[in-house]
Amino acid sequence: MNISLSVNGERTQIDVEPRRTLADALREDCGLTGTHLGCEHGVCGACTVLVDGEPARACLMFAVQADGSSVTTVEGLEGTDGELHPLQEAFVAHHGLQCGFCTPGMLISALHLLDTEPDADRDKIREELSGNICRCTGYQGIVDAVQAAQGALAEPVTTPEASDE
Amino acid sequence: MSVDRADGPAAAPRATAPAPASAAEDESGSLGRNVRRKEDRRLVTGHGRFVTDLELPRMRHVAFLRSPYGHARITGVDATAARDAGHRVFTGRDFAHVVLRAQSALPSYIETDQPILAHEKVCFSGEPVAAVVAKDRYRAEDGLELVAVDYEALPPTVCAWQEPREPVHPEAPDNVLLQRTFDAGSVTDAFAAADLVVERELVTNRHAGNPMECRAGVALWDAADGKLTFWNGTQVPHIVRNMIAELMGLSEGKVRVVAPDVGGGFGVKAVLYPEDVALCLMAREMPGIPLKWVEDRAEHLLAAAHARDHRYLIKAGFAADGRLLALEADVTCNVGAYSVYPWTAGIEPLMAGGLLSGPYKLDNYRCTVRGVATNTAPAGPYRGVARPASVFAMETMFDDAAARLGIDAIEIRRRNVITPEDIPYKMPSRLVDDSGHYGECLDKALDALDHPAFRAEQQRRREAGENPIGIGVALYNELTGLGRAASAGPRMPFRTGHDACTVRVNPDGRVTVISGVTSQGQGLETTMAQIVADAIGVRYDDVDVRIGDTDEALWGFGAFSSRQAVIGGGAAHNTAVAVKEKLVKLAAELIEAAEADVRVVDGEVYVVGDPKAQISVAEVARVAYLESNRLPDGIDPGLDATTFFDPIRGAFAAGAQAAAVEVDRTTGELRILKYVCVEDAGRAMHPQIVDGQIAGSVAQGLGGALFEHLVYDDAGNLSTGTLLDYLMPTSAEVPDMVIGHVSHPAANPLGVRGVGEGGTLGPNAVLAGALRDALGIEVNALPISPASVWKELHP
Repeated sequence: MNISLSVNGERTQIDVEPRRTLADALREDCGLTGTHLGCEHGVCGACTVLVDGEPARACLMFAVQADGSSVTTVEGLEGTDGELHPLQEAFVAHHGLQCGFCTPGMLISALHLLDTEPDADRDKIREELSGNICRCTGYQGIVDAVQAAQGALAEPVTTPEASDE
Repeated sequence: MSVDRADGPAAAPRATAPAPASAAEDESGSLGRNVRRKEDRRLVTGHGRFVTDLELPRMRHVAFLRSPYGHARITGVDATAARDAGHRVFTGRDFAHVVLRAQSALPSYIETDQPILAHEKVCFSGEPVAAVVAKDRYRAEDGLELVAVDYEALPPTVCAWQEPREPVHPEAPDNVLLQRTFDAGSVTDAFAAADLVVERELVTNRHAGNPMECRAGVALWDAADGKLTFWNGTQVPHIVRNMIAELMGLSEGKVRVVAPDVGGGFGVKAVLYPEDVALCLMAREMPGIPLKWVEDRAEHLLAAAHARDHRYLIKAGFAADGRLLALEADVTCNVGAYSVYPWTAGIEPLMAGGLLSGPYKLDNYRCTVRGVATNTAPAGPYRGVARPASVFAMETMFDDAAARLGIDAIEIRRRNVITPEDIPYKMPSRLVDDSGHYGECLDKALDALDHPAFRAEQQRRREAGENPIGIGVALYNELTGLGRAASAGPRMPFRTGHDACTVRVNPDGRVTVISGVTSQGQGLETTMAQIVADAIGVRYDDVDVRIGDTDEALWGFGAFSSRQAVIGGGAAHNTAVAVKEKLVKLAAELIEAAEADVRVVDGEVYVVGDPKAQISVAEVARVAYLESNRLPDGIDPGLDATTFFDPIRGAFAAGAQAAAVEVDRTTGELRILKYVCVEDAGRAMHPQIVDGQIAGSVAQGLGGALFEHLVYDDAGNLSTGTLLDYLMPTSAEVPDMVIGHVSHPAANPLGVRGVGEGGTLGPNAVLAGALRDALGIEVNALPISPASVWKELHP
């Protein structure tokens, strides 16, 4: 089936089998391998992307369900000039990643949290990120990073998607 | 975690271009500072290079058909329908000539074979039986449904301390693959003289590393060159090369193993699995076609290495003053269906017996350990190997004895722990402890916990009838960076004490490090760059590190036994020192100065007493490679070196953990109020990475203590086959923890001690101790689930 979606602000048309997951379509058809698959049953959160601004498990969604949608993946965070998003910068500065496999999903979940609840406290951050499993860090660096990004983003958040409108 | 970010890599947008060389007096270097990790930029932007991300022309995808039975004879395999549908199918008979046979010279060890694809019988649920190759993974899985396997069920045995119903291997009718007794002093006499004998049966929970990236491989056979390339998410690429070459009858030079970015390992990826070998064998049958297999989580839980399924029948004798007089134990480890390759079924039992007494002084010790095969997934290395269980057993003895003798649980430990005055201390298993800093770690941990305040709060709650709190502690020693004098494995045919490193100053003055270390998140690219930058005197940003490719690096055993900072780091340091010697010699000639007066700082060469740089490293390197006419007599072209390093002995790392825990009487749930870990990492080369290793390993330990449990039913089915059933700790459960350090440099070139595993050793013991302290509940089986606590509260 031919579907059309906007990925990180870029209009894309791909031909997919109905059973193809959004995660596989992004990774293999769009070449955006930043979206990772950690469990393929919707628990670990590594494949989290934004679909029309809402977090979604790309492993549990068929690509055809995203037809006509706007999708944001981790590749969409970096500025066009190569500048890291403050959240990415904070993950680097606060050792919010080790192996980096869960990081794309973690960043997307955190981005949504910063967008919707910019003042979330530490407990709230922990609660909201509990849908993303990290096996390396013990989460401390991740929570530190999200808090640091809150500070850096004291100005209203501009998602890459919105800036591309 | 505090961040002191002084450096930024040239590639990062916010970093400025390298500034002109700073003054010669700036010799702070990059070690000991939280420089930006070289790995991070690609990982936070979605440009990591994991095996899963690899796309090659003509690539085909593999799916494995797995046994639905825990134990069954295979009476027929019919792949006709799958082949008729156009799939390439491989079955056990295709590779019957290859077996995995983990070897050990240990007396009593019974060698057994693990097939690549099972063909005579299946020995655990999830064992691979056939493989289908197709255009994509969806079609490969379609193909699996077209392969018919006939099974004749056999009675499975899943518990290692029950009589086997039918042996897993005919060579071992009682399923015991190895047994060894550690014996020192006389436990009989010591027990007779003891004022108190404590005896317990303790069972620890089977769980596993569960890295977020499951296993993955891409194999490509180049028929023209007769060469195999295997991209593999492994912790041990050189060992994999060695083993694949041997198993396939290839010369090692014709096997290239590449471990690119690897999404966590924790020991699980230090094993060579039948799926890995199958992929390589299939690739040889399909020349020029890259074959890709990416494990999904359900497969991972079924068939990647499990760990920590142990029973301790343990007895300790104490004097009235709390001194430990004797320790006797019978330890049974469930090693699963096969002796894990190449580590053998001895990996857990021997570690348990060798380190059971931990950081405590003990003269009289008898401990029999055995590895027992069952119809479950093979048990293998997992961060902390056996010690999370053995530390729990040992610390339980002290908590138990303290309560019975009326001695404070912390005081009884102080009376028994090895001190700096005892060093070197020969443990009853004959390992030599070179640390002794346990008391210092404990003091620091209790200070950080604010022990008196929690004691006061505990009392207040008792009087007020509120939910109780308890305090738990654990001391442990982690044997890291083992050189040739001690073995990281049970008398296997190889010793893992050394690594190699190549350091090249390129003609432009930048440095390339090709190291045998591997990284699954530990930041080894960063650490190796720091070490080399400082040893030569160039900027951290001017060092590039390449790891994980056996065609590039000369040799490295890889990541296990908390060895890489010590051994790989030592190799990097020594190699860089060798390069610097040549650099200084050549520079001295070129600037006509005495070698002893030459200093290299930030890529510039100075002469002592003169603040002005005389020549740059780049100019010296240019001469070394491009202007041989300027080379002095006796100096060969090039500016590089390759050396090996072996620390000979290991370095014990001391650790202490303490926590205050609240118990909810209504639900049985434990809530960690404060968690402290203090370790001796020696010199911390990158404090953030060191703390990250500790935080991550404590979190894994907490997961094992509270949630994670791989459960088989009596029929041999894994009943926790998804992450909905197998509970991994999330940010909502893992608390902020306090991490502290005592830093006693170890006797190796960088003064470092391994830090990757120690954190996992404490949580079982700490939380069990806290529960006992809070409510007097004895923990005899892990994990400590709310249900298990609730049952104790409502007998």
